[in-house]
Amino acid sequence: MAYLYTLPNSTSSADEILSQTTNVFPAFTPLLLFFVFFVVFLGGITRQKLRNGTADYSAWAIIASMATLLPALLFSVSAGFIRLDWLIIVASLNLLSAIWFFMDRKISEV
Amino acid sequence: MGSQITLTMSLVFIGLFSIAIFGFAIGFANDTGAVMSIADDTEFNDFSTDNENSLSDFKDDSKGTYESILDTTVEPGSNVAQSTGPFAVSTPGVIAIGTNIIKLPYQKIFGSGEGFGIFFTVFGGVIALLFGFYVYKTLRGNP
Repeated sequence: MAYLYTLPNSTSSADEILSQTTNVFPAFTPLLLFFVFFVVFLGGITRQKLRNGTADYSAWAIIASMATLLPALLFSVSAGFIRLDWLIIVASLNLLSAIWFFMDRKISEV
Repeated sequence: MGSQITLTMSLVFIGLFSIAIFGFAIGFANDTGAVMSIADDTEFNDFSTDNENSLSDFKDDSKGTYESILDTTVEPGSNVAQSTGPFAVSTPGVIAIGTNIIKLPYQKIFGSGEGFGIFFTVFGGVIALLFGFYVYKTLRGNP
């Protein structure tokens, strides 16, 4: 059976699977972080809307961006998982979410 | 006064958050010997340093503002307290007690470095500034 890319050698170590997959498909890590962010962001908003009728978008944005930063930091431990510019983008996303979150609070909520 | 407090608190907490999250990321990279670190980016390093300096200045300014509010006197004849003497007497003692209580757990958890120290000192400064705002509002009303 023909594969689109060479399958990773899963007998060496667990993180080699991620590393080799990223090697042949560089967009794997950004897409994974993208997935984590939107699962938390959209999932949180949807559940809160179903429960309360309204959703706190800025709060879920900051929670999702922090949930994205954690795997991004873990990926930065070893070479080959994530590039520096993607790490910087995730960190910047945290800062933008924080600005949105703190500027969005009402007077009674400070 | 309400919107002023909101804006001040928002700006300060944005600064504190950025220092906390980037300090955590840089510390994580140092502790684990990470290959990649956001400290490798010069712009982020400069941003972090500038932010810390701005918050240090804010800490000093808020301390001065707080002390000036404690020294406020009100002209006699109105039905309000003539000075904030009770606040001036009680508050420094309360701050000293609180500082001593949190000193030991703080040093055990965060170490004696100044990396996280600025976070808590500025946070305390904001609370003091907020307290000063409300004391002013109580005595003088909205400016």
